[in-house]
Amino acid sequence: MERELLQQAEQAVELALKTGANDAIARVRDENSAEYTYRDGNIEQVQQSATRGLSIQLYVNGRYSTHQTSDLRAASVARFIEDAVALTQHLAEDPHRVIPDAALYEGRPDTDLQSDDAAVRDLPREACIDWLKKMDAVTHTDDRVVSATADVYYGWNTSARVSSNGFSGIQSGTSIGYGASVTLKEGAHGRPEDHRYVRAHHLSDLPDPEAVAREGLDRALSRLGSEKASSGRATMVVDPEAGGRLMGTIWGALQARSIQQNRSFLADKKDAQIANSLLTVTDDPLMVRGLASRHYDGEGISARHRCVVDQGVLQMYYVDTYYGRKLGWEPTTGMSSNLVFAPGEKDINGLIAEIGDGFHVTSWLGGNADTTTGDFSYGFRGFRIANGQKTGAVSEMNIAGNFLDLLENLVAVGNDPNVYSSMQTPTLVFDNVAFSGK
Amino acid sequence: MHTLETHPFAALFGVDESVATQALSEAMSRGAEFADLYFQYVRTTSLSLEDGIVSQASTGIDQGVGIRAVIGDQVGYAFSESLEADAIYVAARTAAAIAEGTKNVPPQHLQGRETDNYYAIDRDWDEINITERLPLVQSAEAMTRAMDSSIEKVSVGWMDRDERVLIVTSDGVFSTDRRPMATLYCSVTANKNGVRQSNGASVSRREGIGYFTEENIKAVCQKAVDRTMILFEAQRPPAGEMPVVLAAGASGILLHEAIGHGLEADFNRKGTSIYATMMNEKVAPDFVTIVDDGLQENDRGALNVDDEGQDTACTTLIENGVLRSYLHDRISAKHYGVSPTGSGRRESFRHVPMPRMRSTYMLDGPHTRDEIIRAVDYGIIADTFTNGQVQIGAGDFTFYIKNGWLIEGGKITAPIKDVNIIGNGPEALKNVVMAAGDAVLDDGSWTCGKNGQGVPVSMGVPTLLVEKSMTVGGVN
Repeated sequence: MERELLQQAEQAVELALKTGANDAIARVRDENSAEYTYRDGNIEQVQQSATRGLSIQLYVNGRYSTHQTSDLRAASVARFIEDAVALTQHLAEDPHRVIPDAALYEGRPDTDLQSDDAAVRDLPREACIDWLKKMDAVTHTDDRVVSATADVYYGWNTSARVSSNGFSGIQSGTSIGYGASVTLKEGAHGRPEDHRYVRAHHLSDLPDPEAVAREGLDRALSRLGSEKASSGRATMVVDPEAGGRLMGTIWGALQARSIQQNRSFLADKKDAQIANSLLTVTDDPLMVRGLASRHYDGEGISARHRCVVDQGVLQMYYVDTYYGRKLGWEPTTGMSSNLVFAPGEKDINGLIAEIGDGFHVTSWLGGNADTTTGDFSYGFRGFRIANGQKTGAVSEMNIAGNFLDLLENLVAVGNDPNVYSSMQTPTLVFDNVAFSGK
Repeated sequence: MHTLETHPFAALFGVDESVATQALSEAMSRGAEFADLYFQYVRTTSLSLEDGIVSQASTGIDQGVGIRAVIGDQVGYAFSESLEADAIYVAARTAAAIAEGTKNVPPQHLQGRETDNYYAIDRDWDEINITERLPLVQSAEAMTRAMDSSIEKVSVGWMDRDERVLIVTSDGVFSTDRRPMATLYCSVTANKNGVRQSNGASVSRREGIGYFTEENIKAVCQKAVDRTMILFEAQRPPAGEMPVVLAAGASGILLHEAIGHGLEADFNRKGTSIYATMMNEKVAPDFVTIVDDGLQENDRGALNVDDEGQDTACTTLIENGVLRSYLHDRISAKHYGVSPTGSGRRESFRHVPMPRMRSTYMLDGPHTRDEIIRAVDYGIIADTFTNGQVQIGAGDFTFYIKNGWLIEGGKITAPIKDVNIIGNGPEALKNVVMAAGDAVLDDGSWTCGKNGQGVPVSMGVPTLLVEKSMTVGGVN
């Protein structure tokens, strides 16, 4: 399989060069997956997929374009590439569009990332059905349950990348995830709901399916009786699972494109204090079994460990070849990988115990941010915290503010990273956050 | 009526009646009650212009067939990108395995179904040369730059899509549709005294290249510039509950999130929607009538036929304040014993269809916009939006206001920005106390996400007043 994908990519590059491209990069990706859904005692849906696609980047007389096709018959690919090269000739020259420097391909690591689990590739249908039945049984142990759905998803993919300036690489991996979502009856019409899902490369890295389903049910039960609290400023405890969405905006503002297009509130902040010194984050593409681990990035740049924020001081931007040239900067990598937060001393329960008045945010609902200014406003649900105790569930509330203020008001970091995400946020505690409710 | 053999899509997909009916027989061979084949061929062309240069052009071809086997509420699904007969049969047998028996389904003769065309265009997008598209994005950039001297950056995005589908169902009917879509985005960053603000606007419709006149392009660019410039004066509003006026047009996002999703019948047949027990109940004042319409000409949400081969329609969801219908796909229509509403949609041949919205809007009400503004002592008016979300069971929904204004003493005063609004669907509906006669559909590039599938939609409302019930995500 690996040889076949590499050959398809090599052939595409050759074809592109033959039809007039000066440089070309081709990527062929093969993906397989299955998903089983079980609801209230019955299998509801079984989906299987096997897919292959070719994408090619073309550099033609200083012009650039990208193309994707799922029609991989030899004659179709030849015609597709010919058309693509011809189209590129009509574009304007762009002096910043050049193929990545081959020097960036050097020193590619070859450590075993353990991204592939044979147990996932060979997973029998019966095992999935057995887990689903067990999860379904657990989620129906409370008579307030209206409906509960359990899912199992697994798959594997392989991707070959070849460039005309000497890059050739193959990366592959498996993934598996499962979980349950639960809807309860409350009052005449209310249907509070929650869920728990986990995912990993390796089956052995996941908790027991029944424990996951139990957590899904418990989370739904904890939503009963939720209320809107009063507006005001208070401490915010962001759950490890909710941290990724919040911090994601910051990573968007670290992209060279955002900076070059004057759409980053973190432009001109390199080497500046952007957060409380409790915040240290590293980007670790070589983490064993990490969900975003890799030997090279989307441009073929060899992976290496990088410090993004050191004790609150911004250390790097994510710079790809194109926007790097526009800015006059050396490329780093355009793609983040596993983001690891330096841990604090306590887990979420220990941190909540120290808070007099606040909210524990378990998930976000809508909301957005402006990466140019750093202004944000998000809806959330979670719990009220009073005198170190989690009290009632809250819903229909928002937070609003600016990311630079928020990061300055970071007052604690947990030791409980979310290992089921590539952004491994631990519990994050922020002071003086504007909450809106009643 | 025509036969598959004489239809041009048969050649496009390289499929004939014997392959199609054999695939359906395979899909039903384990005992399924219904099966369908969804052949799809999509060509896309996109352009991106930054710093005065078309810095990237992209093209894509995506083709394949999705095969579904249905038994009761249960679905088996598989797809193949290869359109060779043997690959189609393998996918059909995979889908068939949702059922566990055996069934011999004899081949049948297929009848073609005629549909109306709600998006006739002059020339299909695959006939348009790249050199005809380039001047559109270049003129958008030039017009935008000329609109204000504080503009530092303009980026223009373009995407057109030529989609052809052939849907063959086990009841012996085939339907076809050719669906164009064209989208123009314009984003602006301006700098005034060292402070930067960015915003953007888009138009997206089932149109051909003829739609993109200088006037229509300019309208999008002007919106992008106006929405950016007002941000320099905009503040965050106070936090808390207050009356919210929704300006005519894109405020239809309220209907989409607060009502539309909750009325998708899959959630209701499972009992997981807050609306599951409200059919035929009074849920809003008399003047509130809300529809979900697939028949709006050249609209982003229009469909000639849904993705299950059913006629699309204009479905009345709420009539004079009373909840009248859910949005159905084949499975839910059978479950409830009602006629389908033509709402079965899917992102692509890789995805199963489910009930989805098309163009969701509210009809005109009895008030005027001026009356509505005058009725508010202290509140906000929401004008432009970026995104929204809903929790189907709790009914809690949100939408994010990018631009709006404060209303003080019955008058529009200072501009506001970046505000998340959160409310509860049935509560908000009850609190719609005024609606004007200025209903309009928004033509922005709205994409609705559900279970990981995105489909194009549109939305609209007349100017509305929602009495104090929703929470404004401001700062005190």
